Amino acid sequence: MILMFTFLFTLSGCSTNTIEQPKEVTLNQDRDDFNGELEGFFDEFEVEEIYDPFSGYNRAMTTFNDKAYEYVIKPVAKGYKYVIHEEVRESVRNFFNNLYFPIRATNNLLQGKFYNTYEETGRFIINTTVGILGFFDPAKVHFNLEAHEEDFGQTLGFYGVGSGPHIVLPLLGPSNLRDLLSMYPDALLSPIDYTERSYWTLTDTWSEYLGARTFEEVNYISLDMEKYDEIKQDAIDLYPYLRDIYEQYRKKQIEE
Amino acid sequence: MISFYKKILALCVAVLFAQSLVADEQIDLKNRFLEKIKEVTLIVENKELSKDERNRNIVKSLTPMFDFELMAKLSLGTAWRELSQENADKFVELYVERMKHSYSAKIDAYEDEKVEVKSIDQPQPNRIALVTDLVSKEEKLEIVYKYHKPKTKAADKDEWLIYDVEIIGVSILKTDRAQFKEFLRTKSIVDLMDALAKQS
Repeated sequence: MILMFTFLFTLSGCSTNTIEQPKEVTLNQDRDDFNGELEGFFDEFEVEEIYDPFSGYNRAMTTFNDKAYEYVIKPVAKGYKYVIHEEVRESVRNFFNNLYFPIRATNNLLQGKFYNTYEETGRFIINTTVGILGFFDPAKVHFNLEAHEEDFGQTLGFYGVGSGPHIVLPLLGPSNLRDLLSMYPDALLSPIDYTERSYWTLTDTWSEYLGARTFEEVNYISLDMEKYDEIKQDAIDLYPYLRDIYEQYRKKQIEE
Repeated sequence: MISFYKKILALCVAVLFAQSLVADEQIDLKNRFLEKIKEVTLIVENKELSKDERNRNIVKSLTPMFDFELMAKLSLGTAWRELSQENADKFVELYVERMKHSYSAKIDAYEDEKVEVKSIDQPQPNRIALVTDLVSKEEKLEIVYKYHKPKTKAADKDEWLIYDVEIIGVSILKTDRAQFKEFLRTKSIVDLMDALAKQS
């Protein structure tokens, strides 16, 4: 009986194989296949429309940001890159990343990701001490501790809060109402912030804060100058293109 | 009673066998994918080729893996149905050219990166998703290659074809659908084709 089953299976396997390889190959698929073969795919790609009541403003701000990047930020980052050695720039990035530890750890904790919180804490302790104020990343290199990016927008998303209308921020780029409002609680946890705290913060005034953030951004961009251009290259219509990429990316981050 | 047990046993064997067939299919696909990556890596590392030659070879090597025509159709969504035959053919041609061009440009930015297959999903018998990590010195990028198995296999194509690529959650096809749809709200398909032509 077992043999028979096996035999039948092999036989059916063979027969489907012969069916699947027809002698004639039709290259020109009929355009009426819309309701046939394509149908299954359409369900998969039926994208939910992104809520976009501010599309007019968003479009204008996208153009502004694009030009600002092209004519101001990129040349500055290029000059900076030319002057400062890559290893130094990597260290600067590490330093800022290390400072954002409270944001990541808290949001990991709020989402019940205890192991990630533990890894983040380990990273902070090791990198702040052995890694000299976070300029180096021995936690990853020697202890195999990975960073876990989480922010309050992701925490809200985790608990089912929708993204709300899409909003393009000046210079900071694509965002949405949920993520925009989430910047406030995250700022309260950020040691870079200039507001009065009972503990040390990197900046004391608004202008110092702006300077520090600009430096951080320029440094970050200098490490991968081509990134934006590579993404932009496939855009037919920049605004909806970037909007969709942002919303899809955030959805993925929240799911993780 | 004994025959009952025999039947159960036979059923188990049958189920196991069917499962191993599915598993084989997945492993074959994974091996084929890794082989291609190796092939492309060799071309990239071949310093004797000029950049154009190199890119042409890469595109040639990768073309049998992709269902560009299907991607072109899906990218337009319902607007596809309204195209004349002539425009439909032209659109597919332009879309395919743009994809190849975009891929070549991305290869130019390639630097000592490794591809690791993390997991394989098969949500339907004729769909397989290959979840991979592109590992560089700095970071890991999750890239998902989505395959489908057409009912009829074309002579110059693989049995399983890629119809979408998701890079850290961003689907190439979904993004194109969204921007084409928005574009067509205010402009015509001819304008869209002009814009596509400019990109490649």
